[in-house]
Amino acid sequence: MLLIFLLTVIFSALSFAINGKRRIFAIVSSAIVLILTIAYSLFRFHGTYASGFQSAASYNLVPSIGITFSLGVSGFSDALLLLSAIVILISLLITEKNKFGNSLYSYILIAETGLYGILISRDFLFFYIFWEVVLIPVYFIIAQYGGKNKDSVSLKFFVYTHIGSVFLLLSIFTVYTFHYEATKIFTFEMSQLMVNRYISQIPVFWRYLAFFGFLLAFLVKMPSFPVHSWLPDTYDASPYPGTVILAGGLSLMGGYGLFGILMPVYSSLGSGILTILIYLGIISLLYFSLAAMMQQSLKRMMAYASAGAMGFVTLSFGAGLIETGYQATLELAGGMFQIVAHGLIMALVFASIYLIRQNTGHEAVHSLGGIFREAPMLSSFLLAGLLASLGLPGLAGFIGEFSILVGVFGAIGWLIIAVVFSMIITASYHIWAAQRSLYGPYNENLGQIHDVTGYQFAVLMGTLIVIFVLGIAPNLIYGMLVSYVGGII
Amino acid sequence: MSSEILAVSTGLHALVYFVPVIFLSIVGFIILAIGTRNPDKTILSWITFFTLAAGGVLTYLFTPLGTSIFGGTLVFNSFGLYFALIMIISSMFICYPALKGLTAKSEIFYATLLFVTVGMILAAFSYNLITLFISFEAVSIGTYVLASFGKSRRNLEGTVKYFFTGTIATAFVLLGSSFFYLDTGTFNLSILAASKATPEISMALIFLIVGFGFKLAVFPMHQWAIDTYDGTENSVSAFLSAGSKVLAYVVILKVFLLGFSSDFRDVYYLFVILSVLTMTYGNISALSQNNLKRLLAYSSVAQAGYLILVLAVVSSTGNITSGVAGLAIASGMFYSLVYIFMKGGSFIALNSVNHESVELADVSGLARKSPALAVSFAILLLALAGIPLTGGFFAKYLLFLSLIEGGLWWLAVIAILNSAISVFYYFRVIMYMFGRDPVDGQEFDLTGSVKVPVYASASITVVLSLMILWFPAVINIASGLFG
Repeated sequence: MLLIFLLTVIFSALSFAINGKRRIFAIVSSAIVLILTIAYSLFRFHGTYASGFQSAASYNLVPSIGITFSLGVSGFSDALLLLSAIVILISLLITEKNKFGNSLYSYILIAETGLYGILISRDFLFFYIFWEVVLIPVYFIIAQYGGKNKDSVSLKFFVYTHIGSVFLLLSIFTVYTFHYEATKIFTFEMSQLMVNRYISQIPVFWRYLAFFGFLLAFLVKMPSFPVHSWLPDTYDASPYPGTVILAGGLSLMGGYGLFGILMPVYSSLGSGILTILIYLGIISLLYFSLAAMMQQSLKRMMAYASAGAMGFVTLSFGAGLIETGYQATLELAGGMFQIVAHGLIMALVFASIYLIRQNTGHEAVHSLGGIFREAPMLSSFLLAGLLASLGLPGLAGFIGEFSILVGVFGAIGWLIIAVVFSMIITASYHIWAAQRSLYGPYNENLGQIHDVTGYQFAVLMGTLIVIFVLGIAPNLIYGMLVSYVGGII
Repeated sequence: MSSEILAVSTGLHALVYFVPVIFLSIVGFIILAIGTRNPDKTILSWITFFTLAAGGVLTYLFTPLGTSIFGGTLVFNSFGLYFALIMIISSMFICYPALKGLTAKSEIFYATLLFVTVGMILAAFSYNLITLFISFEAVSIGTYVLASFGKSRRNLEGTVKYFFTGTIATAFVLLGSSFFYLDTGTFNLSILAASKATPEISMALIFLIVGFGFKLAVFPMHQWAIDTYDGTENSVSAFLSAGSKVLAYVVILKVFLLGFSSDFRDVYYLFVILSVLTMTYGNISALSQNNLKRLLAYSSVAQAGYLILVLAVVSSTGNITSGVAGLAIASGMFYSLVYIFMKGGSFIALNSVNHESVELADVSGLARKSPALAVSFAILLLALAGIPLTGGFFAKYLLFLSLIEGGLWWLAVIAILNSAISVFYYFRVIMYMFGRDPVDGQEFDLTGSVKVPVYASASITVVLSLMILWFPAVINIASGLFG
């Protein structure tokens, strides 16, 4: 795995040297990374994976203050590695030739390096570094290629998430310092620091301070209510390749933070924090679905829908850790599956909205209408994405939401009505948007529009196939998620 | 000063310790002499550059570690050596870029630069308030001369402000030193110097912080810095905010950590208040600046606030030899090393704009004209903001780590929030460089004297992030502070 990671580093560095065909280079290199990651997963995680970490290794850099570079891949992070490789590849594939400057492709490759770094790091120092590294290329993507208000929006995005990050740093220092006081060993290794036996010894105040920092950093990225206000503007102003990365890649970071970093110490979290998380998840679901209903622009609407879907993740994390047994496994694995499914679905949705925008020049629901007549394939792809997003059985979105819904009842009781209610709202505005923009009488003002080209068809179809396959054979990754949960609980 | 390292040597024999200083002074006079023949200023800049490089090597070779001479007045240790080398580098740094602003009498500029460096080297090794004062004053007077190397009246306004306030600060240093002597009966700085907190020592504390804090541009003694940096040549601003600040910092570390070790309670309160005010004021003022040079000047005030956090940590532990104090001092040392490159480099990057008083809009579209320069400048700004993969990140990182280790979590929160605020204005500059089109008719100066130093400092800033691997060595050097 280290080799694959180093390959991403080399590719992103090399991309600066290539001037003429940087787009092709970026696509080829990210495809190579994806293929290698798939091969790696088949090799290490297929069938035999029980739990714990594969390719674990640790390199001592500065032993006296505990700086090491440790890596390891769990079933969960492997699923996310696959997701991020796919999302990055899609975001590169949907760009047209000559539309964007060369630097965009380098930024996307750097973002991929950062995501891989986050997912394989098993020590907090490098985790934090990569956590920040992802922000910089995304910032530049928005600031250089963004839509209206790109200056202020990109700055807001960066500062918002940066504040989350610095609190993460504070938390890391806190656990690091207390670990030193307890054991006289300096270490940043997660395997040493994120251990219940040790975390529960930290004095209450400091423990909650640390958890506050972790949760703030992760919830901002998800994003969850009430730290979401960067989201709509950023998704809106970002160019579409950037939006795909935001929806698939950045929300993945938040989810990984919860399930990959905090889950091993769940019993120190205490039911207080977990209950708060449950409520935050439910409020996110309700609030974002109501907010999405009010949007005119398809892009903004799906931005809120994306945040709403991540509300399921927060909810499942809180509820799954309060409960025990079969239900807990169901919810936790469902929550992690939801992260993966959500990333793929949003990639499909935003990619098709992008093509609609390219072909018609509009993305507001009321300016579209009946485009199925002129662009049947494109409309069908968007419809498929929307259906997957609202959780239609047979597509990937259903698996996660269903297992969360089944499991969560024990933890939240009749509050589940709120969840179901928000799902109904979600379904209704998804259908409404599809109906208004794709079907009905054709809006003649749009003039002559054309359908997808063969190349675009292949890209969208590829994504849809992945979603479909995961929908009918979720065990491809569900199994390793369940094993991962089993290893912790 | 523990007595076993007091290999006291006086008289002519001690002259051998001053080889680098004598060498630099002699070359300084030679440059003045050459100047009467109207030589090419480029040649002078190279002579100065290589003299300083040789001076650095000599300082390294002729510093007998663990020796002290003149009864503990000068102590040669790795701590002083570290800072002496940093300050020599910061002088070397401006030799080449300064060419742009020099129109006449360039020999005076370069000779003064050498004399200033002599003062800096002496200050790095001084452990006595009188020698510290003398070398500090030598640097100050030299920098008054450097700051006046300009073209217009506006430049002189900044210099005059600097000169007058600087002179007053000098008086404060002397007064503070007298109070210090009144209480302790010695000018020497050592852990045992002061026995207990008395009214005299508190007076000394206040007067000395005003005097030395002036040079570091600590709130509320910062106002000269904004006008002076704004009014002088970019390369001189770079020197004032890098080399001269590091000098003030090393002096403050020595004076307040050694001389006032009996009065750590007051030192603690004083520096907590000053650092919080300095960072907050600097960052908040920088937010609303449209003048790029003033923006960098305010950011340099804010950075001074981070630097003196170290004193708050050390004095809060109450024990200068503790592990946390060592970490804090070492992080301050690492910070100053990174700082001279990131701050000096960013001021020099402003040389690319052809006129004085650089506005933010003046750098718009720099990325189109010269992507490499824009990226390098962006790296320096990211380092100042403390973003990973730059040395600036590790500098901040270690500093905040030492705050947490010292139990000052609330101070760490304030510092971290400040650092988040600072992202705003650093990114505004980046935004102008990358996101805006160039102003019509705007031409950038993209000659080597602008580009090379900026490239160099940007790459060094990145390479310094690998320096973290040798950080334990810095901690070892930090323990040399005690003598």
